[in-house]
Parts: sequence; C-alpha cells; structure tokens
Amino acid sequence: MNKEIETLITDFYEHDYILNEALATSLFLLKNLEKPLLLEGNPGVGKTMLAKTLAAHLGTNLIRLQCYEGLDVSTTIYEWNYQKQLLHIKLFEQDADKKALGNQIFGMDYVLKRPLLQSISSEKPVVLLIDEIDRADEEFEAYLLELLSDFQISIPELGTITAVSKPLVILTSNRTRELSDALRRRCLYHWVDFPSKTKEIDIISKKLPNIEEELASQVVTFIHNLRKSSLHKPPGIAESLDWAKTLLLMNATNITDELVQNTIGSVLKHKDDVDFVKNKTVQEFLYPID
Amino acid sequence: MKEVITTFKERLIDFTMYCRERQFVLGPPETRDAFEIAERGYFLDRKLFQYSLKAVYCKRKEHFDRFDELFDRFWSRYYEDKLEQRKAAIKHKKKEPDTATIIFLGAKFNVSKPLQKEQEAKKTVGANESIRLRMTDFSKVNVTDKERLEELAEELFYQMSMRFKRRLENANRGQIAIRNTIRQSISKGGMLLDLSYKRKRKEKRKVVFILDVSGSMDTYSYYLLRYVMVLKKYFKSLEFFTFSTTLTHVTPLLRSNNEQQILQEVGKNVHSWSSGTKIGESLTEFLSSYGSKFLSQKHIVVILSDGLETGSVTQLKEAVRTIRRKCKTLVWLNPLKGMQGYQPIQKGMVNVMPHLDAFESAHNLDSLLKLEKLLMDV
Repeated sequence: MNKEIETLITDFYEHDYILNEALATSLFLLKNLEKPLLLEGNPGVGKTMLAKTLAAHLGTNLIRLQCYEGLDVSTTIYEWNYQKQLLHIKLFEQDADKKALGNQIFGMDYVLKRPLLQSISSEKPVVLLIDEIDRADEEFEAYLLELLSDFQISIPELGTITAVSKPLVILTSNRTRELSDALRRRCLYHWVDFPSKTKEIDIISKKLPNIEEELASQVVTFIHNLRKSSLHKPPGIAESLDWAKTLLLMNATNITDELVQNTIGSVLKHKDDVDFVKNKTVQEFLYPID
Repeated sequence: MKEVITTFKERLIDFTMYCRERQFVLGPPETRDAFEIAERGYFLDRKLFQYSLKAVYCKRKEHFDRFDELFDRFWSRYYEDKLEQRKAAIKHKKKEPDTATIIFLGAKFNVSKPLQKEQEAKKTVGANESIRLRMTDFSKVNVTDKERLEELAEELFYQMSMRFKRRLENANRGQIAIRNTIRQSISKGGMLLDLSYKRKRKEKRKVVFILDVSGSMDTYSYYLLRYVMVLKKYFKSLEFFTFSTTLTHVTPLLRSNNEQQILQEVGKNVHSWSSGTKIGESLTEFLSSYGSKFLSQKHIVVILSDGLETGSVTQLKEAVRTIRRKCKTLVWLNPLKGMQGYQPIQKGMVNVMPHLDAFESAHNLDSLLKLEKLLMDV
C-alpha cells in the first residue's frame, strides 16, 4: 500500500475514524489532484465526520457551509456591507469627486466574506465542507461551478478573486435529489456505504472503550439486520453509537426485549419503523449476518 | 519508462472507451486526470490505481457499484473465464423459472424458443449496438443482450429523469414577493435594492399506473416498472397497481429508493405474476376499492396490457368507460402495437378503443422514452 495512504489510515484511526483503502485513496487524490471530493451515501454513515477528521488530521480550519433551500450568493459567497457603505457616503458626501467615492465603497474593505470566499482567502489551505448539497437549489449548484473547477470567485464590482491557497473541498449529498452532471464532472466521487459488521464493531469499540465485546457485537448484528428490513429510515453509524451509549448507560450486558422496547427511540426515528420493531422479538434481529 | 507510460496511456484510453460504451459519462477532463494518475506512477500499485480511477471515473452510485467489476474485466486476464461463469450462471437460472424474481426478469420467455427469439432480436439492425437494443422488443432480447439492455435502460432513464427535472424547474419569475423584498431590504438600511420574486413552478402530475403482469406481459411490466421508478419523484402522487386475475396495490413497496430492493419486493409480493388475464374484473375492483381515492380530474391513468381479455368484455368496456369519465387522461399501452401489421381487433381492445385518449406501444426502450412527452404534456 502507498505510504501516504497508510499514514492517512493510521492518523484517521487515531482521530477515531476508521478509513477503508478506497476512501483513503479518494482523500489522497483530493490532496494530490486538488479536485473537490463528492461524497454520497445514506444519512449517518460518517460523511460530515470525515471532513471534520480531515481538518483535524491536517491541523487546519474547517469551514462548513450547511446547505438548505433558498441558499444564495449573499449567504454563501459575499455581501456588501451596506451600513458601512452608507456611513462612508454620508461622511464624504461633500467631497467633489463622486467617482472616487464610488470606487472607494466598492473595495474589499466593504465586502462581508461568507464561507466560500473565506475559504479561498485563507493563507493556509482550509477544509471546506459543503454539507448536504442536495438540499440547496440548482441555481446554487451553478454558483459553485466556478469555485469547484478554478478555485476562484467572480464579484461583478471587483473582478475575479483567485484562491490564495486552494481549499480541500468536500461536498456531501444524501441523494434526496439528483445533482447536475456539471457539478459531478468537477468532482472526484465516492459512495460511502454502511460499514461491514467487523468495521462497525471496531468503530463502536473505538468510540466507547468501556463497551463489552459481546454487547457491541449484538448491537451491530441487530442494526445490520434492521437495515435489511424495509424501513423508512435505516439506522446509520451515528444511531448505532447512540444506541450503544444508551445501553451502556443502562448497564446492559445483553440486548433484551424490554431494553429494545424502552430504547429503540435512539435508533429509529419514524413511528412506523418503531412499531415494526416493537411487534417483533429481539431474537428475530439477532440472527447471524452472512 | 517513458515508452512504458506511452503504451500504458494507450491502454488507458482503451479503458476509458470501454467504460464510455458502458454509459460512464467520461470526457477529456477525466482522461487527463487518468493520465496524471499514470504519470505519478500510481499504476504500479494495482489497488491504488483501481481506487484512483474509480474516484475519477465514477460520477454516480450506479457507476460506483459497477466499476470494480469493469476494472477487473478489462485489466484482468481472467475476463474470459468470468464471462463463461456468468453465462453458466444465467443458464442455471433459466432452468429454474419458478421463482418470482426470474419470472419478473422475463427470463421465462427465453426458455421456450431461445433460438428463434435470438434471431428475431438480431433482425433489428441499426447504426450501432445501442440503437439496435433501443428498438428491440423487450420480449425478444436474448440472454447475452439482456445485461447490455439493462445498462442502456438505466442510462436512458436517468437522462430522461434529468429532462423531467429541467422542465419542472422555474423558468419564469412570478410576481414580486413583497414580504421577502422588505425582509431583504432590512440589511441594506431599508433601501429596496433587490427585488424578490415569487416562484412559478409547473404543477406536478398525479398518475395511476395499472400494469398487467400476466404471462404474456411480465417482461414489458418489468421495464415499465423500472421506468416509473425513475420518474416517481416528478409526480405529485403516483399510484401503482398490478393485475392478472386479481388486483394488487404495490405503491407501498415503492417507498425505498433502492431500485433492486423494490424489484425484489414487488416480485415477492405480487402473487398473481404470470397467470391468466381478467382485465375487466381487475379494473372493476380498482374502481370499487380505490376509485374514489385515486381518480379525479387531475389524474392521468396509464394501463399497460395486451388487451387479451379472458373474462367478460362488457365488464371491461364498462370499467374503462367509468375510469375515462373520472380521470383527466386515459392512456393504454399495448406492446402488441409494436408488431408489424397489428390491428386492435381483439374483442377486448375493440371495446376499449373509443374511450382512450392515447394508445401507444411501450414494447421497446424507444417507445417507453416517447411516453415522456405524453406524461409531461397532457
């Protein structure tokens, strides 16, 4: 295995994130090819955590942009500081040179930098996390294209601002809608799947060192079998961890029917799913995984 | 080393073409990135090379899931062996046509007269492989073409879904949104510098699909089901029924986003798969049990059936007439229409024809793609 990839896997492990070789290679390319990385996968598989861990691993800042419907340039790239501009106009309105006044108020001093502009203005490369891009409008995807391909942003009054240092861009999506081909073409791609049983036990044991191996194994078997059922929202790794924590707090050593009835709320977030599980016995979810 | 890299780059271009033929969307930037990977010497480590190309060439989950197999096929000397194994597996499946999945995948149809069907499929000649497959009747696709057709269908349906999305986008601005405009102006000292507009979106349609899954129809139903699954998010409401001798409401099974899982679930749950056809009885049952809920002047009803009724024709005629009266548009898809010289002269079809708004074929990929216009424009 490549030395750098091996170091990535080890370092991430120390930061409590267990990387597989394929994902580590994607991160390695993100750094070396300087292309954004698009991560898709079900909610709760650790996409956002990956960006946080990368920032921690590199010892750099994480700039996070949480996407939502209606996100626009003024909240993501830049906005003019209108109060400051108006104040400046009031102060110097007696000056004869109106043109110079106009030029002054459209300078960088009057720009409020939003996350995307901040990320390319930083002296040291930062990790830019554009989280849940599928929640944003398609217009916003179009804004992003220039940044993703050329690491620059065009502001009509100022011209093009090129990155001082190229940020490491990670985009995440839960596939609630299809992203445009234009955006996909500019990115490296990785599908983050649910982990294997062994890997998930490792994750739980790493995050919760006090947990008994038997309990961790039962939690993972239960969750893996749950994922095979057709649920509205299959539980992710975050839910496995929450449940394991809950069971630890209750001093459980084995999963029982009573415990499931009382704690399943930390795993399933939909009434139909909860009812589905409550109508079954624990043993139905503890059969061995292939 | 330089010569090695040059030869390797040629092979890399071959691989790019190989993936492109399998519906990977790869342009010069991807090839350039692949060259960069080769120049950096990543190809010396097979896993590193594989995962690097995977990150660069894959743009969607569907690509991601298939890439490793394609990579192994292309770069491995065992390709021929694997192909043989695959063919053997398909043959093995054909010998056991009693499971729902196999019937669902239409493999049953190839059992009776495989040679004849294969020849019929090859009769459709076109400019290239894709065009030939697009125009080949689903029931006449041979086993070796089936995988290729699946890939092609996946890609074409995806492209169509993107077209649907674009059409539903807001093309025109609506009226000025006074509340938002005032809210926006607060940060600018109350000056109305930017106006905010209301959105005017095309309204999504409500559609009911009623599919015949009797013996003669299940291959067509399979592809139509896949087609509908791609489109489901672009309809305001989409209801899905299957029938042969009895009617089954399968919409709840479409809840998952996993296409393969849906197909398996539907295959498991539709008990009347590949049996006789009682169209009139099934449509009457649809009217009495679901009509009040799923029929209105906003609904498009699409029925897929060959119209070969084994029950009462009067009941069929009456049911179709009532459905037409209660819905906005009634579309009948009959795969037999794709056959040369077909005339709707069977008793069933003759009686329903006067009540239909559209009568289409849906027997191959091309005809399914033409439905797009019908579903968007009505």
